Amino acid sequence: MRQIPFHYAVRNLGRSPVRLATSLIGASLVVVLVLASGGFVRGMQVTLSENARLHENVMIIGIGSEEGVERSQIDASVAGIAAASVPRLTQRAGVIYASPEIHAALPVRESSESQADLPAVMRGVREVALLVHPEVEIVEGRAPRAGADEVMVGALAATRLGVSQERLAIGRTLWFDDREWTVVGRFRAPRTVMDAEVWIPLTDLQIATNRESSLSCVVVTLGGAKFSDVDLFVKSRLDLEVTAIREHDYYASIGEFYGPIRVMILVTAALIASGGVLGGLNTMYAAFAARVREVGMLQAIGFTRVAIVASLVEESVLASACGAIIGALIGVVLLDGVAVGFSMGAFALTIDAPVMLAGIVVGLGVGVVGAIPPAVRCLRLPIPEALKSF
Amino acid sequence: MALIECRGLTREYKKGDNIIRPLDGLDLDVERGEFVALMGPSGSGKTTLLNLVAGIDSPTRGELTVDGVALGSLSRNKLAAWRAQHVGYVFQLYNLVPVLTAYENVELPLLLHALSRRERHGRVMTALQRVGIADRHDHYPRQLSGGQEQRVAIARAVVTDPTILVGDEPTGDLDASAAEAVMALLGELHDDLGKTIIMVTHDPKTAACAERTLHLEKGRLVREAGAMEGAAV
Ligand SMILES: Nc1ncnc2c1ncn2[C@@H]1O[C@H](COP(=O)(O)OP(=O)(O)O)[C@@H](O)[C@H]1O
Ligand SMILES: [Mg+2]
Repeated sequence: MRQIPFHYAVRNLGRSPVRLATSLIGASLVVVLVLASGGFVRGMQVTLSENARLHENVMIIGIGSEEGVERSQIDASVAGIAAASVPRLTQRAGVIYASPEIHAALPVRESSESQADLPAVMRGVREVALLVHPEVEIVEGRAPRAGADEVMVGALAATRLGVSQERLAIGRTLWFDDREWTVVGRFRAPRTVMDAEVWIPLTDLQIATNRESSLSCVVVTLGGAKFSDVDLFVKSRLDLEVTAIREHDYYASIGEFYGPIRVMILVTAALIASGGVLGGLNTMYAAFAARVREVGMLQAIGFTRVAIVASLVEESVLASACGAIIGALIGVVLLDGVAVGFSMGAFALTIDAPVMLAGIVVGLGVGVVGAIPPAVRCLRLPIPEALKSF
Repeated sequence: MALIECRGLTREYKKGDNIIRPLDGLDLDVERGEFVALMGPSGSGKTTLLNLVAGIDSPTRGELTVDGVALGSLSRNKLAAWRAQHVGYVFQLYNLVPVLTAYENVELPLLLHALSRRERHGRVMTALQRVGIADRHDHYPRQLSGGQEQRVAIARAVVTDPTILVGDEPTGDLDASAAEAVMALLGELHDDLGKTIIMVTHDPKTAACAERTLHLEKGRLVREAGAMEGAAV
């Protein structure tokens, strides 16, 4: 089949600047929308499922609290018992990788005068937490010291609290448990829930939450041990009322809980995008309808209908591809990494390769889908009638 | 065997219960190299006949062979390929592509032929020279007068060296002098190149350029006259 030359499609774009502008804006909006919703879903997914992917951690938590570590209450002695009982856990310089932790969703205030409760996700930890969670990297300042009313904050903590980054700069303070706490460090733990947390020395958080002798969980790093070793330990110590779950599985199950929300977001985005496609269809109908006679002529001189549809689609895809590039640029510059808070933390919109690919494919798809019905309609008339039309 | 043979050629349209029959059992032979004018009142079936011969419409009944090919038996795509090879069509309203230059418009039908870019260039320039518009090859249709546009359209129709050249009132939209120039051009194509031409026209003066004039009325041939006889009547 012989093709209609490419420059015919290119120059046809210039025939109706309004139509071109509509196509460009429409396609770029659809792509931005796909990137925003895709980035959201991806960001949430990555945060909840890639957590501890690189790293084999097992959480020892209270039986019955597998779905929310904040609700877990286990005895403070579990950390020491686990470290002593599970063989071959990772160990360095005499420190066994077993991190006793308290996870708490606590309201904090900006100051004593402030009335607004800010929803913080707090993690009470000892130094060993930095070994067990190597994703955490202190980028400014230092780790908080126990008994000094100090905290350190993750990169997305400000988003979680709904305050500006400057508000959590080193030296600024937060108010909770009737005391002022000073930010002494800032850390990042990209793509993990920890990025949105406020870390505080374990004993301080135990006092603040009135649970001096209890923990939420103990996180151990397997190293030479196997998951079954930890499992055997919790099953042989029924008196401790604890259970073992891989950190990865724990966050994955939380991710599943948010599955319906992700589906809803994608469906909403798809609906809005289809609205855009329908709008685009309209302008395409008008643009191609004005060319019925010309298309009749092209058939009369011997071009096949397939070749003509291909050229019209080419033209439309060309416009939507330009729109998609604009949308992709907007997405990368304005959306990638934007922090979003949600009930159990915060995460960054993640526009990675799969999301970008989806955006571009949808953008081009808008061009194809938007052009085929009008192109077919434009070819509906028999050639003699097409040649008579105006 | 004549180049174009029509036997009982009929084209019908159904409109509700009515059947409209723009062409009604027409018999016609056109020899290779003939220049035929097609006249008749509006609605008498001239365009319908021309479209059938040009392979852009299909008969309801009857036979139509052009150069030994029975057009009724060709599939849609085969027919398109046949048109590209054998037909040059000149329209009343030129139908140039507005976003292509004169050169590119003339080149368009050549893209359906297996030719190199250089070969196409040679053919396009020859055709443009023949219609006297080579100096305007890079003009867009809107930069040309109606007469010039029609010359470009004629160049587009002849550039593939088609078996038949058809025109549906090719001078219908032109002023007298432009029309005369276009007719002179068609006459030249016939005399110099021996092109077989069928041309619909309303104008007896235009028809006089042809060797033979056919008169259609209500889908039938009513009278046929050679140019000399026609002039004598
Ligand atoms: N697609 C069609 N549907 C119905 N009737 C048609 C169609 N095309 C042509 N006709 C009818 O056929 C008759 C002949 O048309 P046409 O060949 O265009 O006439 P002419 O070119 O001689 O003026 C007219 O009466 C016209 O109304
Ligand atoms: Mg007509």
